[in-house]
Amino acid sequence: MSQSGFRLSRRGLLGAAGGVSAAAALSACGGGGSGGGGGGSDEPIAFWNMPWGNTEFNPMDEEITLAYQPPEGLPPATYQVVQWANFTQTFSSAVASRTGPAVSSGGGTQAFLFEAQGAIAYADDLLESWRGNGLYDDFLPGLIDTMKTENGYAAVPYNLDMRVLWYNKTLLEEAGAEPPTDWQSFLDACEALKKNDVYGYGTAAGAGAYTGGHILVSWMIGNGGGLFNADQQPDCVTPANIEAMEFVLECVAKGYVDPASASYTSDNAQTQWEERRFGMGFDTGGLANNVGGEVGSDLVVGSPLTSPAGSQGMLFFPNNIMMYADTPSQEGSEAFLTYYFQNMSRLWTEKTGIGLPPLRSITETPEFQSDENNVKIIEEYQPIARTWAAPGGNALFQGVTAADATPAMDTFTQSILGGDIEARAALEQLQQGLEDTIGG
Amino acid sequence: MPAHHGRRGPTAGTLTLILFVMPSVLLILLLNLYPVLYAGMQSLRDGSLIAAGDFVGLENYTDVLTSEAFWDSTGFTLVFTLVGVFGSWAVGLALALLLRTKIPAGGLFKVLLLLPWVVPVVVSATSWNWLVATPQSPFPIITEAIGLGRVLFLADPTLAQVTVCVFKVWISFPFMMMMMASALAAVDDNVYEAARVDGASRGQIFTHVTLPLISRSTYISWILMTIFCVNDFPTIFLLTGGGPVNATSSLVVLSYRKVFAEFQTGPGTAIAFVMTLTLVVVSVLLYRQLKKVNIE
Repeated sequence: MSQSGFRLSRRGLLGAAGGVSAAAALSACGGGGSGGGGGGSDEPIAFWNMPWGNTEFNPMDEEITLAYQPPEGLPPATYQVVQWANFTQTFSSAVASRTGPAVSSGGGTQAFLFEAQGAIAYADDLLESWRGNGLYDDFLPGLIDTMKTENGYAAVPYNLDMRVLWYNKTLLEEAGAEPPTDWQSFLDACEALKKNDVYGYGTAAGAGAYTGGHILVSWMIGNGGGLFNADQQPDCVTPANIEAMEFVLECVAKGYVDPASASYTSDNAQTQWEERRFGMGFDTGGLANNVGGEVGSDLVVGSPLTSPAGSQGMLFFPNNIMMYADTPSQEGSEAFLTYYFQNMSRLWTEKTGIGLPPLRSITETPEFQSDENNVKIIEEYQPIARTWAAPGGNALFQGVTAADATPAMDTFTQSILGGDIEARAALEQLQQGLEDTIGG
Repeated sequence: MPAHHGRRGPTAGTLTLILFVMPSVLLILLLNLYPVLYAGMQSLRDGSLIAAGDFVGLENYTDVLTSEAFWDSTGFTLVFTLVGVFGSWAVGLALALLLRTKIPAGGLFKVLLLLPWVVPVVVSATSWNWLVATPQSPFPIITEAIGLGRVLFLADPTLAQVTVCVFKVWISFPFMMMMMASALAAVDDNVYEAARVDGASRGQIFTHVTLPLISRSTYISWILMTIFCVNDFPTIFLLTGGGPVNATSSLVVLSYRKVFAEFQTGPGTAIAFVMTLTLVVVSVLLYRQLKKVNIE
């Protein structure tokens, strides 16, 4: 792991306190950060990035970062990998103690949490400058808007984490079923698979597995619903959401969902795909590569399902890169990011396992086009993909952190997948949970 | 006669001692007291992970103590702790007694029995997940083979609670075994011999000789294991994440999720402080019992 000098040791010291009490103590240390100057600082731009892909990702990413030659008078960049384990604590304690990065990626909603705390440097000027060099127009449609808050752009889209329908083409053929295109044909395919003792609605909602909840929200979004209204307030108990959850409960009741799904980790779910117990289901865009082998090559991305209302939609996560107010040079942060976005295509063309690219130019490369599943996701899912903010909007905001991997969402998901609850009652509980979380 | 009897100042030796001790004292204050005090302050504020927030008095405590989630978690923590302490003690004591007898490769057994305690909990949790999580896992296959049907050890709320408690006993019994083995080793064999001469049965020897003579170590191990169980985060979080539907959410898991999933540091630290207070009370009660044993 690459590190950037004294920053890590100070964070490490803070981290040594450990546990809830210490973490809370660290959070109390936040005294607010001073905004970065215009430039001229000797301190480098600290870029913290996550392990987005396979083992080749971070070394290549570091190579790209360290190859940065800053314009005259602007600082160079340093690179540090931040592991996913406890990343929220890592970033929070670093930002609170003003030992954090100048630029970083992180959790998909992290920028909006920090933006509300005044820790983010808005990307408006950066994006404006990208109108002149072609980068702005290179972003896939609608992506940049997902980053827009009331006060400005909280971050820049970096990689897309999609939720899509997958099926095992061999198992579907053996069951004599056609790939589904709408909710009814999904039920039909599930019924056909069930006769072969195969589950048609593969998912996971156990320890650390949040895909189950993502897919429930995707059913809502696909039916024209979602969790938040136009005022960015939770609005869960709607006819569209109730209908969607009744559909899922029907799948549970008919035995199309593995009854242990509510306790499956991501690894458990992957095992079920590998052992051909899941013939169809929902997962991230990287499922086939993660499963690998013979089964992996049998996995195919299905088309988005059309709901009874005639609509389509899936939840997606526009992972992003954010700039922090506490930077040695805001100009330096922006110059580095411009360089980075102009030179990051290798991360996709050399298949490092990172999520889907945000730039059209990368999706058009022969290397990207060689993966039919990825091409299908970009062509069919990206245009209908919505964020947590749906149906009220698509731009993210702090309130969505109440839904993303929270106890309220876990409880809701496990209740639905357990099947022992009514759709309306589950949605009312979710509504209450989101309100409580947002209200503090 | 001296003009006055004023107290003498510290000698050079005392000053040297104080100077030697000072770095340690400062480190302890810095690493222990400071975070606790800050956490205490945070529990009285409505802050977030990166901002201290406004002072709200005891509001976080009243919110926490009137929430259903807190009492559900308290209930599970109580069950988890009782099973963890007495389950691991019973198994540990039984094995310690068994290992007192001379059996072939006794040393090897001792080492093997220590493995659950020695192996990192991440590895143990992964192993247990493999054993019980899916219908194709060994335990569900066994239950199906003996006619109990396809048991969902982690997906059913009650079974998940049982599984987590059994897991806790499994990883904790080696510690109890060591404590009890050392206590048993300190008991003079002549005591047993005298009891046998007096006509005591095995059961009478165990209840009236063995247990009283190892009671001091027993109380110490109960105090320690109570603290271990109440504060045990990884055992639960790695196996179930607190689910399904919060069935295995202990107080420490609830506290963690409040702070790091819901970003509510005030209620999260308030839960932690309530836990700490409860632990102190339980520890004092057990410690008093320990002192009573010493006097007797």
